[in-house]
Amino acid sequence: MSDEQGTPADQPLISEFASDPDMIEIVEYFVEELPKRVAAIRSAVTDSDAQSLKTLAHQLKGAAPGYGFTVIGEAAGVLEASLRVSDGSIEGVMGQVEDLASLCQRVRIR
Amino acid sequence: MTIGAAQPNDNVPIVLVIDDCVDVHRLLAARLRNEALELVCETSGEAGIERVHQIEPSLVLLDLDMPGMDGFEVLRRLKDETSTSDVPVIVLSGMQSPSDKVTAFDLGAVDYITKPFDLMELRVRIRSALKMRHLIQMLAQRAQIDGLTGLWNRAHFDERWADETKRAERSGSPLSLAVFDLDHFKQVNDTYGHPAGDTVLQGVARLIQNIARQADIACRYGGEEFAIIMPDTTPEHAINLCERIRVAIIEADWHGKPGQRITISAGVAGSTGQTSIGRAEWIEVADRNLYRSKSEGRNRASMTDVGSKGPRLADAG
Repeated sequence: MSDEQGTPADQPLISEFASDPDMIEIVEYFVEELPKRVAAIRSAVTDSDAQSLKTLAHQLKGAAPGYGFTVIGEAAGVLEASLRVSDGSIEGVMGQVEDLASLCQRVRIR
Repeated sequence: MTIGAAQPNDNVPIVLVIDDCVDVHRLLAARLRNEALELVCETSGEAGIERVHQIEPSLVLLDLDMPGMDGFEVLRRLKDETSTSDVPVIVLSGMQSPSDKVTAFDLGAVDYITKPFDLMELRVRIRSALKMRHLIQMLAQRAQIDGLTGLWNRAHFDERWADETKRAERSGSPLSLAVFDLDHFKQVNDTYGHPAGDTVLQGVARLIQNIARQADIACRYGGEEFAIIMPDTTPEHAINLCERIRVAIIEADWHGKPGQRITISAGVAGSTGQTSIGRAEWIEVADRNLYRSKSEGRNRASMTDVGSKGPRLADAG
């Protein structure tokens, strides 16, 4: 289903469930809310609030695959795991934050 | 009717989701939109457990990885508590380690679904858990019903009598017990045969069931003995109800099977709210009243207010 990982960085990222009539509505909701989640992640970084960052990453890891964005879930999982290893240091996970944010930027409804 | 009220719930089953992630609530709602079930959601283990007590769901979908009380702890608590231990729990989790699955099953989960959900898998697992729940409830209930009359059986009586006496003691509310015995039933069997005897037992059970109220617990206590537990009922009200049953039975037309009138004797022991009597002794008092009704000529009811001293004879028939 998800071959997005190999696509160029400017390609739109579409939900795996974009054509599932049961899902369209909540996928749209997720896509519309996503910039807010990214903003929250960014402000946790600015505030050096590792705990919030971990919670946000954890939630996104759980949620994104359900809406058909497996790669975002994976990236969030990588960020969460890195935070666990980095022992509260935000600087050590900036690469993972950027990876996640740039994936989120590519998300489109269709 | 008592039996009807306790039949397995044919209404839409309630499925409770306990997951800290609201996205999961939303996803499940979308995924299960066309299933015959009602979804209720909670975001924490503590709130989830409280909800289980409140709504007695047919199924719980439980996330393992939650802040605060995690899914394992929720499962442990649900299974430790008698009133919630029978609710089936399907564990939902992104954790994929086999040891988590084993732990979940050890703690009493019926199934395990990994996130993200596969639509078909989610639906069939939920359907299967609900079906199993329904069958188990049906079996449990069959085991409590008397096969011949359809009334509750003795095992159910014992259970409910213990519950109701405890409840009355706690709340100080009235409670009455009536016991009945068919008069000269052996003679009916000997004269008209056992099929006629069975017809009488079934007919009497139907009359009792029709006259008993929604909250009454009508049971076949033994061979030709019946009992009705009447919550929130004073002995005066209880004996009125017994009288109505007695009259309905003597007026019943058996259409020649058997070709005679049937009568019943009754004994009541009830409390208006304050009593120190033990629950076994309470039954003995009702029984003594039954035998008093017998010895005083049958086809009548006697009662004792177990909150006061000494038996009092009610209007005889």
